[in-house]
Amino acid sequence: MIFRVLDPTAEKAPPAGKLAPRLDTLEGKTVGFISNGKEGTKGFFLHLDRMLREEYGVAQVVSRTKSNYSAPADARIVAEIKGWDAVVSGLGD
Amino acid sequence: MQLASRIYDANDISAVQELYHSSGWTDGLPIVPPTAESVEACLEWAMMPPDQLIGIEPVRGLAITAEKLAINAVMAGCLPMHFPVVLTAWTAMMQDEFLMHGATASTGGCAVLVVLNGPIRLELGTSGTFNALGNSDRATAVIGRAVRLCLINLMDVRPGVIDRSTLGHPGKFSFCLAEDEEDSSWLPLHEQRGIERAASAVTVMAAGAPRQIMNEWTTEPKEILETFAAEMRANLRHYSIYPGNYAIIVPKQLREHLQAAGWTKTDIADFIHERARIHRREWAEVGKGAVVRDRGDSVYPAMERPDQLLVVAAGGPAGGFGAIIPPWLGHKSHAVTLPVGACVDCDPPKK
Repeated sequence: MIFRVLDPTAEKAPPAGKLAPRLDTLEGKTVGFISNGKEGTKGFFLHLDRMLREEYGVAQVVSRTKSNYSAPADARIVAEIKGWDAVVSGLGD
Repeated sequence: MQLASRIYDANDISAVQELYHSSGWTDGLPIVPPTAESVEACLEWAMMPPDQLIGIEPVRGLAITAEKLAINAVMAGCLPMHFPVVLTAWTAMMQDEFLMHGATASTGGCAVLVVLNGPIRLELGTSGTFNALGNSDRATAVIGRAVRLCLINLMDVRPGVIDRSTLGHPGKFSFCLAEDEEDSSWLPLHEQRGIERAASAVTVMAAGAPRQIMNEWTTEPKEILETFAAEMRANLRHYSIYPGNYAIIVPKQLREHLQAAGWTKTDIADFIHERARIHRREWAEVGKGAVVRDRGDSVYPAMERPDQLLVVAAGGPAGGFGAIIPPWLGHKSHAVTLPVGACVDCDPPKK
């Protein structure tokens, strides 16, 4: 007996989540950090901040922390992204 | 009826099982083959066209259609009559305040607790008595499983993908119970939460595993409830101090004492709200001294307000065994109660 059965998945990729165009260089750029605010983010972003400035010539690092680590970034943070050349969104788990 | 999902041919029932398991489309248990006929039967019962948009998941923007929910419901073992409950549960889960993405992705590993109220419990043959939090009846077993399979297949809430749970708990297979309204003088949960008593309703809560308590040594309401409150304090000490929705399951033997003394669900919630709270310094007693800092005197209640306590009458007729069901992470996700919708002004979809 042949079973004709249906695909249970969404079959469509989520509309969000596409990567922005890659940068040719980080030199002179502004990089934003969006931290989820967990304990583990502190040391990580501190180190990354120093590395980007000292080793890659990043001009400015802007650090922001979400008010709820389980929810999307706050609207005020998302509104700032337009002013940045790149974003690092980090988890602290 | 025109279904949009891709069709696969499998030579026999074993091939169906291997197709679904190997594709990562199951919870590890065998599934019922979702044929077009069985899926259409669910949609017809709910009087919905396949492309009916049930909602858009708020974080990732995924559109959830009736057809896809029905396919997963059939896989879980649902009959058409169970499907409206699955639809309602998912509609509730997609409300912003439930924070579905956070709750189902979190390392915290919660499950979606589904509580059924109203006449649909009887129509579906649910049982809120013996083994209420376990395998009590067919309807709650398959409805709870359907909620999980939909998460797995529609939201990629698979272990290690979107589901980042450290441990999870057994309720992630199925976590659904029906309130024992017939053997209780209390307001049913849905009425307590503002839905008309005559309606059927579904409450969803992002919930940790049940923590069982036992007190068969008193008939005093305050002593009985103190045991529940103590278990909530234990959760505050050992898990998380975030306040939010807790559920307590009160079995017949214990609620008879409470009801005989005239205690309502509101009275219970008021008492427990006062008693289920800890000082931050108590964390030092359970190995968490590092985060007490200079806030040792701060007081943390289990709920911000008494009405965040979901009091549910359920359990077998004998035994002083109750349970508290803690929240995933307190105020980050809020329980949602919705009536089971009835389409009163539309025709069934044409084949």
